[in-house]
Amino acid sequence: MVTRKTAEQIKEEILFHLNNEPISIEQLRKKLDSNWSTTNNYLEELSREGKVKEIISADKAKIYQRIFGDTYFDIPISLEERKKFRTLFSLIIKKYKEMNKIPNKTQLAKTAVKVIHSPESGLTELPTVWYLYGLIPLMIADTSQDYQEEFVFEHKQKIINIIEVFIIENQDKKTKQIQKEQHKEYNDRLYQLSDDFLELIGKNSWDNNKIFEVLNEFFIVCPLNEEFKEVFNFTERFISTIRKLSHFDKLENNKTKILLTFDALWKFIATYKFYETISLKRKFSDKNLLNLYLGNAISVRKSCAEESLSDLYSIYLSKLDNKELELAPETEKVREIMQGWTGGD
Amino acid sequence: MNKASFLDTNVIIHYVNYKENKSIDIITKCYSYISDKQGKFIICYATLNELFDVIKKRAIIYKEVLAKVENPNHSFEKNKSLSKRDISYAEKLYLTNKQIELKKLNEILASEREIFEIKIEQFLKYQLDEKVIPIETINIELVNKIREIILNYADCKILASAFQLQNERDIFKFVTADKTDLDPNSYEYLKEHLELSKLSSLSKKPKFPELVNLMFEN
Repeated sequence: MVTRKTAEQIKEEILFHLNNEPISIEQLRKKLDSNWSTTNNYLEELSREGKVKEIISADKAKIYQRIFGDTYFDIPISLEERKKFRTLFSLIIKKYKEMNKIPNKTQLAKTAVKVIHSPESGLTELPTVWYLYGLIPLMIADTSQDYQEEFVFEHKQKIINIIEVFIIENQDKKTKQIQKEQHKEYNDRLYQLSDDFLELIGKNSWDNNKIFEVLNEFFIVCPLNEEFKEVFNFTERFISTIRKLSHFDKLENNKTKILLTFDALWKFIATYKFYETISLKRKFSDKNLLNLYLGNAISVRKSCAEESLSDLYSIYLSKLDNKELELAPETEKVREIMQGWTGGD
Repeated sequence: MNKASFLDTNVIIHYVNYKENKSIDIITKCYSYISDKQGKFIICYATLNELFDVIKKRAIIYKEVLAKVENPNHSFEKNKSLSKRDISYAEKLYLTNKQIELKKLNEILASEREIFEIKIEQFLKYQLDEKVIPIETINIELVNKIREIILNYADCKILASAFQLQNERDIFKFVTADKTDLDPNSYEYLKEHLELSKLSSLSKKPKFPELVNLMFEN
C-alpha cells in the first residue's frame, strides 16, 4: 500500500533538496514526483515561514533558495561544516569566559579566522572570505548564540592553544586595531590602504599629499576584472574626483561627502572581494550559481556606490571654475607621448 | 552670423592635449579652432559618453603601465579593454618611464590625467553651448546605414546624431579630426549613400552638415 506523504514531510523533503544549492520549481517538481502547482504551493508556504526565498522569478522559471540565516548571503555550507563552525565558536567563547572576558562579534570572528588559518588546527578547509572588515568565517559569528560542541576535533587541544594565544596577544587591543593587524597578517594591501585612507581623513587637518599617496597606491592595487569593470572604474572615478576637487576647494570642506562616498564604494568593493574569494573555492566555482546568491547584493551596492559617486562629482562640478591649470613639468613627457591618442581605434 | 559647430570627440581631445610650442600640427589646429570660437559649439550625448569612455580608458592604460613597471612580465595584451592602438601607447609610455620609481611615476601619471580631465570638464562647463540628441533618441536605422560605410559604431552614432539634428536646423559645421573615415571624399560618398538609401527617417532631400575636417584644413 502506498502511503501518502504529509504536507510536513513534503516540506522537509523540499528543504533537504535545497540544502546545497538553489533549485527551480521544475527541478524540485521532478525530485518530488509532483506537479508544478502543488510544488509551488508548498514553496510559497515555506517562503511565508521564512525558510526559503525566491531568488529569480521569470514566469514559470522560479528559483528558490533555502534560508539558514547563519551564513553570509545564505551561502550554503555542509552540515559537517556547520557543526565544525559552531563547535569552534563554542570553544572560543568558552576560552574567553575562562579568561574572564566576553568576546564581541569581531573578536569571535577574528579568533576563528586565526584558528582556521593555522595549519595545526586541521580546520583549514572551513571557508573564510574577505568582506567589509577583512577576513571572516563564512558562517556568521554571532555572540548571542548558545553554541555547543557538536563535533569532535582531532586537534582540539592545539585549537584551544591557538585561541588562548590569540586572546592574550589581543586582549588590550581595540576592535579596529585587531582588524588592521589582520589585514597586515594576511597581507591584503587593498584593506590596508582602506585603513590608511580612513585614518588620514579622520584627522582634523588633512595632508593632501599623504592622502594622494594612499589613493595612488589604491589605484594600482584595485582589481581590474573584466567581469566587474565597475570596481576599477568607480575607484578610479573616486580618486580622480578627489584629486580634481582639491584644485578648487579645500578637501576638508567636503569631508562628510568624501567619507560617505568612500563608504559606499568600499561596500561595493568588499562585496566583490567576497565574491572573488569564495569563487576560488572549488565548491563555489560555478559562477552562475554564485550569481544567484550574490548577484542582487552586488547590484544594489553598485547602484549605491554609483549614486554616491555621482553626488561627489556634482559637488566637484559645482566648484569647477575656468582657471588655467598648467601641467607640472615632469608630466610633460607623458603628455607628449599621449598627444596623438584620442581613444579611437 | 557664424555657423554653429557640431564637434566630434577627437577635436575636443586634441584641444585638451594642447601644450604651447610642443604640440603636433593637428592638436594646434583643434586648439585654435576652439579657442578662436566663432558660432555656437554643439556636441551630442554620444560624444559626451565617448569623452567619459576616453577618460576611463586613459586610466586603464596608465594602470597597465604601472603594473608593468611593477612587474616587467605583466602583459598588456591580456587586458581586453585595450585596442592594439592603446597598447602601442602603453608600450611607449612604459619604455620611456620604466626607470622611474613606481611611486613617483604613479603621481606623474595621476597628475597628468587629472589636468587632462579637468580641461575636458572646463570645456563642457564653460565653452560648450548645447548638448543634443539624447542616446535613446538616436535613429538606429540611420546608424546602421552609416555603418555600411564606417565600421566604428561610436563614430556612426555621432554622425547619425549630427545628421538627425541637421534635418531640424540651419546648416551647421561638422568639425572633426578623423583622417581615415571622414576625409572630404569619404564624406561625399557617405552623403550620396544616404541620399540613395532613401531612409524613411530622413526627408526626401536630406540636409547634411558642412564638413570641416581639420586634418585637411590649412
